[in-house]
Amino acid sequence: MAETVKGFKIDPKKLRIYGLVGSVVGIYLAYILNSVTGTNIFSFVGALAALFSVVWGANAVRRVCAYGIGTGVPSIGMLSLGMGVVAVLFGLSIAEQMGIGLLGVIIALVYSLIFGYVVGLIANRVMGFNIPVMEEGLTDLSGAGTLAILGWSFAISGSLGYADIVHSVINTGFLAIIFICGGLAILHPFNANLGPDETQDRTLINGVMVGGLSTVATGVCALMTLGLAAGMVQIVVGFAVWYYFFVWFFRLAKRDASAVVGTGLLPPTVQ
Amino acid sequence: MDAFGMGLVAAMGALATVAGASEDIDSDIGSQSNPNSQVQLAAQVGNPHRIYNKAIAGEPPSNALWCTTAAIMAYVLIEGYHMPLLFAAAAGASLAALFDGVMSVSAYLGRNASQARFNQWIYLDIIRYTTPSIMAHVWITSFCIVLIAIMQVYILTPHHPFPIPVIALVWGLTVGAIGSSVGDIHYGGEREFQWRLFGQGLNTMLSGQIVRKAEAGLRNSIDNAWFCAKFGGPATGMGFGLTVFLDNWRTTVFDPITQAGAAIAMGVFFVIVMNLYNFYCEVSARRKYGPYPGYKGDIAA
Amino acid sequence: MNFDANTIIYLLEIIVGGLLVGIGVHFVPVGGAPAAMAQATGIGTGTVQLAAGSGLTGLLSAGLMMHAMSLSPTFAQDGYSIWPILLTGAVGAMIMMDATMLTGSWIYAYAVGAPFASAKVNYDPITMFSQPPYVAPGTVGQGIPTVCFVSGTIGAAMGGLGGALIYFPLVLINGNPAMSAIFAIGIFMVDAVLASWNIQGTIEGFHDPKFKKWPKAFKACLISTAILAVVAVLITPLVGGV
Repeated sequence: MAETVKGFKIDPKKLRIYGLVGSVVGIYLAYILNSVTGTNIFSFVGALAALFSVVWGANAVRRVCAYGIGTGVPSIGMLSLGMGVVAVLFGLSIAEQMGIGLLGVIIALVYSLIFGYVVGLIANRVMGFNIPVMEEGLTDLSGAGTLAILGWSFAISGSLGYADIVHSVINTGFLAIIFICGGLAILHPFNANLGPDETQDRTLINGVMVGGLSTVATGVCALMTLGLAAGMVQIVVGFAVWYYFFVWFFRLAKRDASAVVGTGLLPPTVQ
Repeated sequence: MDAFGMGLVAAMGALATVAGASEDIDSDIGSQSNPNSQVQLAAQVGNPHRIYNKAIAGEPPSNALWCTTAAIMAYVLIEGYHMPLLFAAAAGASLAALFDGVMSVSAYLGRNASQARFNQWIYLDIIRYTTPSIMAHVWITSFCIVLIAIMQVYILTPHHPFPIPVIALVWGLTVGAIGSSVGDIHYGGEREFQWRLFGQGLNTMLSGQIVRKAEAGLRNSIDNAWFCAKFGGPATGMGFGLTVFLDNWRTTVFDPITQAGAAIAMGVFFVIVMNLYNFYCEVSARRKYGPYPGYKGDIAA
Repeated sequence: MNFDANTIIYLLEIIVGGLLVGIGVHFVPVGGAPAAMAQATGIGTGTVQLAAGSGLTGLLSAGLMMHAMSLSPTFAQDGYSIWPILLTGAVGAMIMMDATMLTGSWIYAYAVGAPFASAKVNYDPITMFSQPPYVAPGTVGQGIPTVCFVSGTIGAAMGGLGGALIYFPLVLINGNPAMSAIFAIGIFMVDAVLASWNIQGTIEGFHDPKFKKWPKAFKACLISTAILAVVAVLITPLVGGV
């Protein structure tokens, strides 16, 4: 195979900035686009914003789990989304009560970062994990989980108002799919690529791919809450994201694997 | 208590049994969850293999994902487009199966590519003929669980207050937890290591030495489904069926408002019976199999 | 938001619920991946997932019971009574855990063909059966002996009780079962994960030496649940309605 595949390596600090800025800006951009044009077609931008935080979270899982935490990768993803759900509900609700509805995103983010840091401290100090990147990693994970939930919630509700989110995301139970899809988008990449020859680009591309899949799922939900047009746009965008990154992922897997064969017996050296 | 409610609870128990069985077989075909550790280890100790490696985040979260995906689709079709319940559940299950296919393929590619240094190849034909089989079982699982959720919310009285996706999420987590606790033992403890002495667990020294060859040719993952469908799958189904049936039976037979105490007492009774049954299993296994011959003498109390 | 004596009670209920989940996880005999190869005693899966499976099954029962109570014709005078809700949550969780362990036992006894034994103790504290002769060479026990089964039942009861105890005040605060359920799942996950980190993935039950580490999980869950609970009581029903 002579074809060259684009690979990359990103510093975790840079990635954190991209993830943070990308999703916050994306969520607000989606909000502005929706309110300026007076439609809800642009709700899919919220789902794209969530992809940034997914990449950020997947990288954090990668860093923390490389140390081996004894309970497998899934637990940390569930923790991330558990913290995220609480932070999102709190942020949106408190902002609404204080009359600053739009700042709910920021409040949720700040709360989740603090809470993630505290959990990291507990893990290291109380339980004696002594993993140097634990505080950092859990802060990242908590923030990423929160932003992912916010982005996809926006994609379903088309608004940042607490009442709208409660009405279209929580009462319908669609938060459940965001919870589990977002969780898998963050934890599946590292879990699926676990092994000594794991590479950062392949893992992160896998994360975006699962994110695209989640966007299809939120698009299905949006069919009901936002109507046919907005939902279909979202499904198409999600499918496009999924397809592009799935092909990229497949190429990266071909690049990294020792051999990709159509069929065959065991490798010749060990038969 | 009414006959209709009892019929529904019985139907839910039956659906749950089917869901549990197909969930376990799906995870056995994909070598998901715990036995996956041995499949993963096999290449590292010098045994590259042709067995599917579907590591999707442990069984409970992944099954929660399939069931929730099916549930949102069904919910959207029922509430938003007024489709019939059965059609909506079938459409939801189809979407869930597609999601599962994508995740399985990505996990197979990713895990095997990450083992390049152990000479573990990626076989495309395995993806082609094993993935549809996994997807089919996931379809059955999510279809049954969405139907259970629909029954609980729309038909069984009192209606459950949680929305369908949340119920499907919880049942998905539960069926995954049961599948990985029950059915996986049959695959991991027995099928993966058929060449070792019968009647004991896997000796730690033999870790990673999984069976790679079949009666003729190389073992593939469909063979594992053939084996595990005989006991591991049905036992898993039994576990999940008992959970769903007993839990709903007690609140259907006894009115939860006026006879709450009786419903709780009934549950406690089931729990005690199961404790005693397990004690019986322990005693009978100890009596029939006896101590291991290598043992050098009892320790004084 | 009205801050009064009730708020304090809700706060305490959520914290106690979180602690029950955190401690309950320590009772559940989980052997992790080795147990699925009949290489270690206990249930062959991950702690968090099993605790979540049982606790959330309990949550479903508790939610149903609570909803049924609000449909009662005398609800206006009686209000909610807490005990049936909590107990039904515990029983639901126990049924799930016991059904899992029982069917798992069938596989150990009739498919793998191994007698149940624990390598952590010489004598089963409940049945007084001697354990070492029945531990297969090269393993650390297999199956689910009576002591593990009883311990798992206790753990599930605590998990279900904890889940219901988190859910109950949340419904009283925001009156929205869907939101409370998701919120309870969130808090449940955080506590279960912290507790499972504390036991490093595997434990056999209350007779296991690792069980003595529970105070650490107690502290961890106390701190984290307190932070979550303060937030939880601030969430209100919709202002202005939809």
